[in-house]
Amino acid sequence: MINLIGIVGTGAVESTNRKLLQYMKERFSVQATIEICELTDFPFFNKPVSKTAPETINRISEKIIAANGVVISTPEYDHTIPAALASLLEWFAYTTQPLKDKPIMITGASYGTLGTSRAQSHLRQILNAPELSGLLMPGREYLLGGSLQAFNDKGELMNSAKKEELDKYFEDFVRFVVKNQ
Amino acid sequence: MKLIGISGTNVGDSATTLLLNFVKKEFSNLAEIEIIDIRQLPLFNESIEIGEGRLVQDISQKITEADGVIISTSEHNRSIPSALNSFIEWMSFKEHPFNNKPVMIIGTSIRIQGSSSAQLHLRQILDSPGVDAWVLSGNEFLLGSSGSAFDEQNNLKDASTIKFLRSCFKNFLHFIQAAKFLNASEEVHFEPGEYQVSAIGHNGKLPMTITVSKKRIEKIEIDTKNETEGIADTVFQRIPEQIVSGQTLNIDVISGASVTSHGVIDGVAEAIDLAGGDSAVLKRRPKPQNIVEQESLELATDVVVVGGGGAGLSAAACALKAKRQVIVVEKFPAVGGNTIRTGGPMNAADPDWQGTFAALPGEKATLEEVLSQDEDKIDEEYKNDFKKLKKQIENYLQSGNNKLFDSILWHRIQTYLGGKRTDLNGNEIHGQYELVKILTNKALESVKWLEDIGVEFDPNEVSMPVGAKWRRGHKPLKSQGYAYISALENFINNQGGKILTDTPVQELLIEDGTIKGVVGHNFEGRQVIIHAKSVVLASGGFGANTKMIQKYNTYWTKIDDGIATSNSPAIMGDGIKLGESVDAALVGMGFTQMMPVSDPVTGELFTGLQVPPANYVIVNKEGKRFVDEYESRDVLTQAAIDNGSLFYLIADDKIKETAYNTNQQKIDEQVAAGTLYRADSLTELAQQIGIEPDVFVDTIDKYNSYVDAGYDPEFGKEVFDLKVQVAPFYATPRKPAMHHTMGGLKIDKNAHVLNKNGVIIDNLYAAGEVAGGIHAGNRLGGNSLTDIFTFGRIAGTMAANNINDK
Repeated sequence: MINLIGIVGTGAVESTNRKLLQYMKERFSVQATIEICELTDFPFFNKPVSKTAPETINRISEKIIAANGVVISTPEYDHTIPAALASLLEWFAYTTQPLKDKPIMITGASYGTLGTSRAQSHLRQILNAPELSGLLMPGREYLLGGSLQAFNDKGELMNSAKKEELDKYFEDFVRFVVKNQ
Repeated sequence: MKLIGISGTNVGDSATTLLLNFVKKEFSNLAEIEIIDIRQLPLFNESIEIGEGRLVQDISQKITEADGVIISTSEHNRSIPSALNSFIEWMSFKEHPFNNKPVMIIGTSIRIQGSSSAQLHLRQILDSPGVDAWVLSGNEFLLGSSGSAFDEQNNLKDASTIKFLRSCFKNFLHFIQAAKFLNASEEVHFEPGEYQVSAIGHNGKLPMTITVSKKRIEKIEIDTKNETEGIADTVFQRIPEQIVSGQTLNIDVISGASVTSHGVIDGVAEAIDLAGGDSAVLKRRPKPQNIVEQESLELATDVVVVGGGGAGLSAAACALKAKRQVIVVEKFPAVGGNTIRTGGPMNAADPDWQGTFAALPGEKATLEEVLSQDEDKIDEEYKNDFKKLKKQIENYLQSGNNKLFDSILWHRIQTYLGGKRTDLNGNEIHGQYELVKILTNKALESVKWLEDIGVEFDPNEVSMPVGAKWRRGHKPLKSQGYAYISALENFINNQGGKILTDTPVQELLIEDGTIKGVVGHNFEGRQVIIHAKSVVLASGGFGANTKMIQKYNTYWTKIDDGIATSNSPAIMGDGIKLGESVDAALVGMGFTQMMPVSDPVTGELFTGLQVPPANYVIVNKEGKRFVDEYESRDVLTQAAIDNGSLFYLIADDKIKETAYNTNQQKIDEQVAAGTLYRADSLTELAQQIGIEPDVFVDTIDKYNSYVDAGYDPEFGKEVFDLKVQVAPFYATPRKPAMHHTMGGLKIDKNAHVLNKNGVIIDNLYAAGEVAGGIHAGNRLGGNSLTDIFTFGRIAGTMAANNINDK
């Protein structure tokens, strides 16, 4: 059993990325606990001269440091990640740096067909920046397109191929987390 | 040049901002840059309706109005700062000010990379749908080691860096000019009708019917039985309402029903494209105004003139001279109509002036022909004038005068004889005497009147426009069509007349069975009601309306669907239809005039290799000659139509030198563009234009032998010059293009529109190509300008007097 922090990559009220994380939390409850965090809890990054983090940033940073890994599910806005997610990562890079060598799983859901492919590629580059230094599994990505129609009333993924793909990815990720402890 | 500068950083006094400030200061002589602080906006969140909405709109407005935007970015974690990211999200959510906006990216970083990775991300972001900016490519300005790059006055220290920045900035200004060009021409034209599409709704397909007129989306009907009730109902009501009222597809989706909203918008877009419009243009249009502002605009005036060409503007000028209030409504964004396209002079007999020019060889023979003409073939009403003309000619010939002859009667008889035609059904037509009489009597008065308004004519040249048959053309000194329009427009503006452009008239305003004005709409889609005591129709003929030409045609054996036109695309027969709505009589509608030797696509006359008929050889698509190249316009046109319309003018390297419309550079460009063919052998040329080479070579060999013999046994061509023998060889594709429509509303000599019983329709006047009866079956070159300025003046004066009568 591993402990993970799930980050919803948007502050929007309605979000299929939140749905995806909630589904994963249920689906993989045997292998892991996933605590879901919301971006609306954090202030807009303003690069304070003191380099001190606001209280909420400290709190999530401590949780991440204590956790075995992080799952980020990002939407795609304008070919990149939402500013709200970028802002959180700026806080991390500039102050507490909790993602250093932390195993990170990236997923993404979009209404259209591409499933946030470009946002995920940006996110990988961003997490690879020296001040963040997240630990990313090479070659694994999970792109959920047509996300509005993807879940049933109980919040379960309906497409069995997409389900299997996620199962496989998560299995690999758990192994990756264990290896990197 | 106005630019907006954006510093993409979360902090105030960063090097990124210093760089932007430096650009503003250093290039202040090249452009005015206003720097917007984006940190006043909160972190973007689509679910929160922020109080700052106004702020988002204000910034968006500034960007929309600017010529371009410069974004200076820092780099945070290999990407752009969240502040800049959030700003772009605000600017691509409800507002889309970056759409087609030129953007230049610059950036700084503390280390040596100079924001290189952030700039690449920024390019991708600005390229995304919803942002759609036009980013200057190349010109990457990366300022590394920013901590030591500026001096104490915050100027960049390194001269070569400044030099490079300057060159990037100048390239950006150039890019803005190019972008302006790309952003032009945002008009849409539809094929009117009902279009069925099925949009994607939340629960499947939404069958929709979209009705469009020529330039507007008129109605959107949605079959909603498959959709769940509730929020979607708002979508089905509000979105079509907004699309129709704003004539735009730039519509906010309804929160909570975005899929259905997009379904409706996409469905309308599909219908627009089916109707031959461009939905992308409608998506770029501004959002609809508030419904409150969409109420009709009501105006009142004495005289309203429909159409801003030469006829309409001279009618307006005359009504203004009679101290009446005047509004001119023009459907296009600028006045000018077909008049502004004319290259030809204006006919008016002015014997005193013409008598100062020497007569040319051949003119005497033409006059002698008149004397030998059989009087019995002259229609009764013209007989008297014809006899008097004969006397004038006899006197002139006897006097031994060697100067150019002319008289009003000679102009009149030529107009009459030139216009006399019989159509395919055997119906004969000739110009109505009282109209032709006025035209020729008042022609010179029209020239003098134009001089008063401010048109300068060249006193040193009496010219003969193509198809005019006599030298009586008065030619403006300034560029021709524009000379008339600019002088008239200035006069109208100075005299307090009002010109509403972008305002097509859709119907006549009728109250108690009488015409009381017009109803149209402006570019915002807002209805415009103009109450007026007199209405002058001066909207031109229907030379750009192929369907209408085909409907009425009785003269040509065939009108191609794809026929080109020399007319302005505005010339769609609008005024004729308005007249028909009040039962106006039409006259001579079956007769139209074509330019036989025109560009097959554009209808333009002066493309390809235009050489004297003595030199060119015309071949059809089979590679055979089919007509004497010297034939008149009518004969050439009909021969072309009989041969499938498309034909080629063949020339060789020697003949090329006689071309009067082109030069080597233009020729090379046209060959490269595929609008002119060139080959080193006749066989190869034939292959290029898809003609059987043997047939083609045989045709040219025969033609060359006729030139040697000075005799053409096939078509009787009489004047030869060059043979086709020196490589390279050229083929210019040509096709007859629609040029002038002679038919139109029936008018009396006072420009009143008549109904089918020959009775005057109260308050309605018509002038110019919209009216028929003058040129009958064929218009003399140079007579259309005489027509519009003479009957335009009459219509304006009578419309003004109409008010005195009451």
